[in-house]
Amino acid sequence: MDEINSLKLKFEGELKKINSLNQLLNLKIKYLGRQGLINQLTKKIKQIPLDQRKIFGQKINDLKKTIFQYLEKWEKNLSLKEKKEVFIDKTLPGKKYPKGSLHPLTYIIEEIVEIFEKIGFVRLSYPEVEWEYFAFEALNMPKGHPARDDFETFFIQAKENKKYGKMLLSPHTSSGQVREMLRVKSQPPIRMINIAKCYRPNWDATHTPMFHQFEGLCIDKNINISHLKGTINYFVKEFFGKEREIRLRPFHFQFTEPSFEIDVSCGVCQGKGVINQNNKCKVCKSGWLELAGAGMVHPNVLKAGGIDPKKYSGWAFGFGPERCLMMREEVKLDDIRILYENDIRFLEKF
Amino acid sequence: MNIKITDRWLRDYLDTEATPIEIQKYLSLCGPSVERIYKVDDDFIYEIEITSNRVDSASVFGIAQEAKAILPMFKKRTNLKLNPLKKYKFSLLDKVEDKLDLKIKILDKTICSRFTAIILDNISIKPSFDQIKKRLTHVGIKSINNVVDISNYLMVALGQPVHVFDYDKIGKKTMIMRLSKKGETIVTLDGKKIILPGNDIVIEDGEGKLIDLCGIMGGLNSAIDNKTKRVVLFVQTYNKTFIRQTTMTTGQRTVAATYFEKGLDEERVEPTLVYGVELLKKYAHGQINSRLYDIYPNPYRPRRVDINNALIDRLIGVIINKEKIIEILENLDFSVQQKKEADQLIFQVSVPSYRQHDIHIPEDLIEEIARIYGYHRLPSRLSPPAIVVQDDKLNRMFKIQQKIKYFLKHLGLNEVINYSMIAKKTINQLNLSPKNFLKLSNSISEEIEYLRISLIPSLIRNLENNSGKKEILKFFEIAKVYLPQKNNQPDEIYHLGIAVNTDFFDLKGIIESLLNELNINYRFEIDKQSNELKVLINDQLAGILKKINQYFIGEIKLEILAKNFKLIPNYKPINPFAIIKLDLTLELSEINNFARIKKISFQTSKFLEKIELINLYKNRASFRFYFASDKKNLTEEEAKSELKKISKNLSF
Repeated sequence: MDEINSLKLKFEGELKKINSLNQLLNLKIKYLGRQGLINQLTKKIKQIPLDQRKIFGQKINDLKKTIFQYLEKWEKNLSLKEKKEVFIDKTLPGKKYPKGSLHPLTYIIEEIVEIFEKIGFVRLSYPEVEWEYFAFEALNMPKGHPARDDFETFFIQAKENKKYGKMLLSPHTSSGQVREMLRVKSQPPIRMINIAKCYRPNWDATHTPMFHQFEGLCIDKNINISHLKGTINYFVKEFFGKEREIRLRPFHFQFTEPSFEIDVSCGVCQGKGVINQNNKCKVCKSGWLELAGAGMVHPNVLKAGGIDPKKYSGWAFGFGPERCLMMREEVKLDDIRILYENDIRFLEKF
Repeated sequence: MNIKITDRWLRDYLDTEATPIEIQKYLSLCGPSVERIYKVDDDFIYEIEITSNRVDSASVFGIAQEAKAILPMFKKRTNLKLNPLKKYKFSLLDKVEDKLDLKIKILDKTICSRFTAIILDNISIKPSFDQIKKRLTHVGIKSINNVVDISNYLMVALGQPVHVFDYDKIGKKTMIMRLSKKGETIVTLDGKKIILPGNDIVIEDGEGKLIDLCGIMGGLNSAIDNKTKRVVLFVQTYNKTFIRQTTMTTGQRTVAATYFEKGLDEERVEPTLVYGVELLKKYAHGQINSRLYDIYPNPYRPRRVDINNALIDRLIGVIINKEKIIEILENLDFSVQQKKEADQLIFQVSVPSYRQHDIHIPEDLIEEIARIYGYHRLPSRLSPPAIVVQDDKLNRMFKIQQKIKYFLKHLGLNEVINYSMIAKKTINQLNLSPKNFLKLSNSISEEIEYLRISLIPSLIRNLENNSGKKEILKFFEIAKVYLPQKNNQPDEIYHLGIAVNTDFFDLKGIIESLLNELNINYRFEIDKQSNELKVLINDQLAGILKKINQYFIGEIKLEILAKNFKLIPNYKPINPFAIIKLDLTLELSEINNFARIKKISFQTSKFLEKIELINLYKNRASFRFYFASDKKNLTEEEAKSELKKISKNLSF
């Protein structure tokens, strides 16, 4: 019996010295293995008097159970401890999640819309397949007018409409101006933004037959040039950065009077037209980049929309999201056609 | 149109203390845009963009006139040194005896608003005087000989193209100006034979020969050559509509045509002719040897445009005092009378002849006042706030588009934007009929001839064009399609297209998660004819999923999604009772497909919450059935008996 107790004490003593799972395994074999100390002790049962054998057997079983429990507990502790110590390389990449992309123009359009919604403009949408009337006549460009040349146009094979003329692909978003006036039943206020696809028959490094345009239209009582200037100024600073300046230059459009072109100061040469003291800036024209066309809505256009030019006035502008994209400093686009080629290597970058 | 002029030439007319750089800057702000300026020899060249309404300023003198109005606003003392409109009058021309003769007939009153001609004798053809040659070279015109150069010099100086004929080559010394008949021919100075479309302004020499394609280019048969002795100096203004039509239809886009097609000032004909005579006398020894021919049936009578003070203030947004307004207008050669009417001040403005095509209404004058005053001097203000109601449908449409785009991007798809037009070839490849598409009548490429009625063809091309560039391709596009309508504009509706090169369940999974994200209830159904999978939302056909070649493509009508999507889904309190999950393996076949299993299962058990596919091996599928009651805890036995009923109903 004492042998059982001393074996237990011996085990407890040895257990305390164990620091690894490996040592623990050896200890387990030493005590519980087939040739282990427990089994050796069991064999001694024959030397025990018959009446004590039962108790002896029970005690050995108890010891076996206790050792087993000890080992299990230590194993758990040791393995936890050992696990903690496994080297983890935190510089390895994390789990990979898919990263798709949006077309760069989607981001540009989203940003433009947000900027204008903040100042109370609503986004509208008008037909891309239009009648000549809305694309030209309503915009003060009667048939045969040379100004129509500036808007070379794709026509559609379809029956001519008696009232509205030929069917075409709208060469500009301005076709939506008179439609918007009619939508509000000729009752201003109007605060419209209209971003849409437009089409003109040109296809080279700086033109694609389909492109986007962004139209702003504001009609109300007492709207004047300073409102147009202020709105464009606000947009340019929000979109391109606080340090950018604008200028309005006189221009001519049939559907606005007065008409302007809007330039924004060049981000590359900071509007100086010169980089590194003497080298001419290749990006801009003497420090300025053309951004948009704009003007005060021509009285004839207001009349076409049923609005009395004596009571109301308004401004309008139009520019290209593609050009805005190209003028962002992050983007270096040398050929605009890539925007519509949908090459995965291009798309993935956004 | 763009013109080039030189600084020295400009200063023939203009006396100013402004430097070329200042001239560039100030003119661009208030007038014609000087796009570039550069030094050549001892002179500066200005490259200037002239807008189509201001052809009157497309000349050295025209720019001088603009500068005279603009530069003083920047405190640069500026005057006109020489005004050719005042200096060169017909009264300066010599009266001669022993005259040469020219018979002139104009057969159509509407084609020529002013006709002038004069004959000079004793001409000697030689190279040009250095200064003329140099200036023309600087502005990009090739020097030919003294007489031709003078005609070009006049155009650049005053903006009025002129022509010079060899008098001796005009058969019957007759000029009949008329409209051409279709099919008549003329060989122009550049040697091109032009077959006329008809209704072109031409001059015939009395023997049936055409000697001038008016306003565009002279005839080769009456051109100046080295032996020319007697010339007709010819200065006219034409009906711009005819000129424009001829230059467009014949493709002869000459510099002269770009002037005439915009409509020129009849009054400038006089100084141009007189200045021309002066130059021909000085540099080609010419002597006048005819009377002056001047046919000018309707001389310009100054137009008057009235404008009141209030409108000026209202459109410009600042108050410009009346002295300034008058100064600006007078510097532009408008003459101004003031009139008081009630409490309003009216300016009665009379328009000089060279602005007759441009200034019609008060707003035109406001532009003049505002630009010369300076747009840079105007304040920047935001437009006053106003409430404008947007169409709710459209609002939802834009909102959902943005949601879908970001969701699909985060699932790993790439957005594409394709042209709205596709090729006939593409349509045919997909066994569609071009008849169902709108067609462009003047496309510039076979690639873009038909307007899309579906996004699928373009998406297939995107997959094809990118094959080999990346192993896994997943694209989407949101765009309008154009469905033809009888006698009307097409229906323009937004579609969502998704295309992958992986497998069908990848595509279907994308669409299912999208619809779940949008909180839309949907179901699928197989189209018995095409074997395509239909997406139904509220029993409306919202889209289809199909396999084309090795690709898997889905197309959905966005309007139906926009109508049904919910920002916040319906919420039911969490069921507090136990859920029992039981698995069942079934053999799938065409008649026992999952759609049927699902339908029958839910019909059978009111405790069935959902069915999940947990494993698929060939056509054997293991499903996990979730049972629960909202009134009590189901026991395992109850759930098992539910599953048994389902299993029984599923068997045939």
